[in-house]
Amino acid sequence: MSSIKEKFNQISPSEFFYSNRDLAGFSNPTRSLYTAVREFVENALDACDQKGILPDVHLTIKAVDPDKPDPKPYILTVKDNGPGVDAKHIPLAFGTVLYGSKFGLKQARGMFGLGATMAILYGQITTNKPVIVKSSTDAKIQNQFEILLDIQKNKPVIQKHTTKEISKKGLSVSICLEGDYSKAGNKIRDYVYETSLITPYATITFDDPKGQKFHHPRFVKEIPPPPTIIRPHPHGIDVERIRRMIVESQFEIPTIDDLMIEKVRKDLGLSKQNLSFTAIMTKAKKKWKNLSRQVRVVIALLSFLKMDFEKLSKIRIEDLDVPNKKLHYWDFGDSQSKTVDMDPESQYYKQLTNTVQGEPLTTFLTKRFQRVGPTTAVKFAEFAKFKPEKRMGTLTNQELVNLSDSLQKFDDFMAPDSSCLAPLGEEPLEKGIKKFFNPDFTAVVQRPASAYSGFPFIVEMGIAYGGDIKSGGPHVYRYANRIPLLYDEGSDVVLKVVNDTDWGRYKVKGDPPFIIVSHICSTRIPYKTAGKENVADRQEIERELRLALQFLSRKLAAFMSKKGQAEMAKKRANLYAKYIPMIAEFCTELAGKKKEPNYKKILEGLEPVEVKTEKTVKEEKPIESK
Amino acid sequence: MKASEKKAKEISKKAKEKQKTILESLKSHGAKIYEDLENGQFPKFSIPSRSVGNIVYDKKLRQYILGNSTALRSAKNSAQLRSFTQLMWLAFFANRLTQEKKSSTLRDVYYSSQAFAIEFDDQSESDNIIVDLEAVTSRPREDFHIFPEERSSIFGDLNIEYTIPGYEGKKMNLSNHPDGYSIGPSLTTAELVDTSAEIVIAIEKGGLFTRFVEEQVDKKFKSIIINTGGQAPRSTRTLLKRLHDEMGLPVIILTDGDVYGEHIAMVIKSGSANAAHLRELTVPDAKWVGVWATDIEKYKLPTIPMTESDIKRCYDLQKDPRYESGIWKKELQVFLRLKRKAELEAFAKYGLTNITDKYLPQKLELAKSL
Ligand SMILES: Nc1ncnc2c1ncn2[C@@H]1O[C@H](COP(=O)(O)OP(=O)(O)OP(=O)(O)O)[C@@H](O)[C@H]1O
Ligand SMILES: [Mg+2]
Repeated sequence: MSSIKEKFNQISPSEFFYSNRDLAGFSNPTRSLYTAVREFVENALDACDQKGILPDVHLTIKAVDPDKPDPKPYILTVKDNGPGVDAKHIPLAFGTVLYGSKFGLKQARGMFGLGATMAILYGQITTNKPVIVKSSTDAKIQNQFEILLDIQKNKPVIQKHTTKEISKKGLSVSICLEGDYSKAGNKIRDYVYETSLITPYATITFDDPKGQKFHHPRFVKEIPPPPTIIRPHPHGIDVERIRRMIVESQFEIPTIDDLMIEKVRKDLGLSKQNLSFTAIMTKAKKKWKNLSRQVRVVIALLSFLKMDFEKLSKIRIEDLDVPNKKLHYWDFGDSQSKTVDMDPESQYYKQLTNTVQGEPLTTFLTKRFQRVGPTTAVKFAEFAKFKPEKRMGTLTNQELVNLSDSLQKFDDFMAPDSSCLAPLGEEPLEKGIKKFFNPDFTAVVQRPASAYSGFPFIVEMGIAYGGDIKSGGPHVYRYANRIPLLYDEGSDVVLKVVNDTDWGRYKVKGDPPFIIVSHICSTRIPYKTAGKENVADRQEIERELRLALQFLSRKLAAFMSKKGQAEMAKKRANLYAKYIPMIAEFCTELAGKKKEPNYKKILEGLEPVEVKTEKTVKEEKPIESK
Repeated sequence: MKASEKKAKEISKKAKEKQKTILESLKSHGAKIYEDLENGQFPKFSIPSRSVGNIVYDKKLRQYILGNSTALRSAKNSAQLRSFTQLMWLAFFANRLTQEKKSSTLRDVYYSSQAFAIEFDDQSESDNIIVDLEAVTSRPREDFHIFPEERSSIFGDLNIEYTIPGYEGKKMNLSNHPDGYSIGPSLTTAELVDTSAEIVIAIEKGGLFTRFVEEQVDKKFKSIIINTGGQAPRSTRTLLKRLHDEMGLPVIILTDGDVYGEHIAMVIKSGSANAAHLRELTVPDAKWVGVWATDIEKYKLPTIPMTESDIKRCYDLQKDPRYESGIWKKELQVFLRLKRKAELEAFAKYGLTNITDKYLPQKLELAKSL
């Protein structure tokens, strides 16, 4: 699929996270073992998702010394069939924190660039063993690394690097860490089980330290479309993000090096010719329409410098002083700084100022945001009281604030495009719920995409009742970007919404056997901590959750009342079947008769009622399985 | 044939006739249900409504009776199905009891039901169904050989002849045993042969009953003494009625000097709202002679203060039409004014026999003018 190399960015040192490892879910041997499993499994699934590969993930936990009591060292290995990581990126990806390929605006399980490294760090701190990473990106060569981390310097130290021939792509990572499986086992098994519900297209195998195998084969053959990087939605974006976008959008004066000059000559068709300044300018004017922006900027600069290519290669542009109409450059030949005046009437002057002052507002909006077309952009400019052609680089601080406010208030932007997210989809979700719980009733819903703080999100939810579900519900299965959330339940927004629901209103009473599966997908899940366990209650997300739950609850209520009616009719029929024969018996003796009256006619008369209720239940099935 | 034999035959003939009509009534109800079922219909019957709105006071009968509204009970109504079946069983059970001339108590009924897989949650539920049967047939449960456990007692010169199986024709004089005779099924169904008594004295308390026997009130005042044991059970009221109606004896009632005593007398006289569906339990001519509220002042009896619930009971009874006139109204008012009450035993202040020596004669005298 996409062959674009993931872009790796490095942001900040490990030490901060070493002292804050509780936040990342590495507080004790139990929690740490669980978190480490999560981080590696999620990385494996992320990698496969992004390349559209049906994941095969194999998780193994083995005690180093099985006879020791917990907590004790375990070897944790997670192997996948994903794209692998390039040999040159492996030390950084697994040996530094805040180094990842997922910072861009797209849905992924990982987002901080520290998960794997934190696990590795924790392993190293508790057992002093290196991480072993084996990766093949081409199904031919496998690179094997043994890496230790230099915590102070946020730097990987490669202990060993070997290669060997192999026939399969994929990555395997193995660490030794202090853990407590007797305590974490339940959570880890739950995690694997719940992950297979929300990742029905993945096969996940878990070999546990006690020799038990948990195999969850895929039951959906299509992988949801891989997520793509997207532009932000204008709603809820903040001043800081606009400021950063402007910085990114401002055109820089290109560095005029040999490469650049080569390009200009090629574009003008002058690769082999050494023309004079005036000849170059004439040629450029002729070809102007077909020139790229960068080349145009170079020509504009040249128009004031009045040089040929030969001379141009011996200078460096120092500053473009638009207000004072001066162009400063360094002349390598004379080894001194020089200045030329720029004629503000010249068309080239305009070219240069445009470059420095950035795009017009409307262009900025249509190019940098999703869901903004030219018409909407103009309408918005009017709404926000800006000139449509207002240059982004010339906005004052106050204007920036106004712009940000207006972006949030303007109602005519279309809802965020859901194709940029990767929800599971109603069908696979329902299939999963049915397979896992074999329920009497299932309903699922995918809400339309919405946005908070410029990040799009989608809520998917399913509800199921009866079947194999144990009573005492609602049991809530929380997911965010296909990650099951098992810890810190108390403070989660989904649970808040579920707990606020008065189930009696939906005819769900007593100790009901029912479950709720909630999945929030977003380019940025607002987790409360880096441990990625609970979702903060953003108003927009809470609202979508409520709407989804209401929709499903109403469906459940309809099912419950039908079920209630059917049960009532059945109960009534049972009552008749029990009591009518007794009445017959007693009245026979009372009336002094020998033979009992033929009461069967009455009971048979009831039959249609029973048959009818059964039919309604059956008819209900296809409706539920919409 | 000896006269006594002839009498015995007559008696058993009478009893048989009564039994026959009861059995007929049960049979006709059963036959209707049978017919409904045979016709493929849900069986149903109507029953006089016993809801508060349908209980009215009949001035002519001087008792509470049920009004005209009836309720339809249908086996089709699944909410009624259970109680419908319970009632059918009870009729079936009563039919057997009557046929076999066996008696049983309310509690017996409750337990017997379990042999037939008829579930009653508790005895109050089965008691309630028994009242249903009474209402449908307009006959007291005693007619179906179902009796309460409570027993009251009787003493005095009264000859009776038993009608119950095994004792038919057997005679008894009720002054032979000084503890008195307990009033149970055999006594209530016995034939009342003759008596030398001229009055029936019903008294609320066992203690006073014993004193009356000891003091030979029966002889001194030519009376039959009955201990009602508090609120008179139905069997006792039936017997009182029969003594009045069949033997022509006036009935006077002596109770404690409080609102409950006053009401005990009233129930003997004109029944209770609970038994509005039955009409053979009242002695409208019975007279309450004491202890009145006015007696408390007149005889300067030692008193105890009335409780909250005593006072509330006074106000409740004031709403009852039977308390709208005469001594009933007057005494209630005095009780409310005094806010004090006195027991029969209070006369012991003037000596143990004061009640029989002084009070009773005065009251008997007074009763003539009531
Ligand atoms: N199994 C794998 N296959 C391919 N690439 C991987 C694999 N595991 C990790 N990577 C790469 O290594 C990077 C670092 O992983 P890490 O878990 O530290 O950060 P993350 O997943 O981006 O964010 P988070 O901290 O939220 O987990 C990832 O962004 C990914 O590019
Ligand atoms: Mg990760």
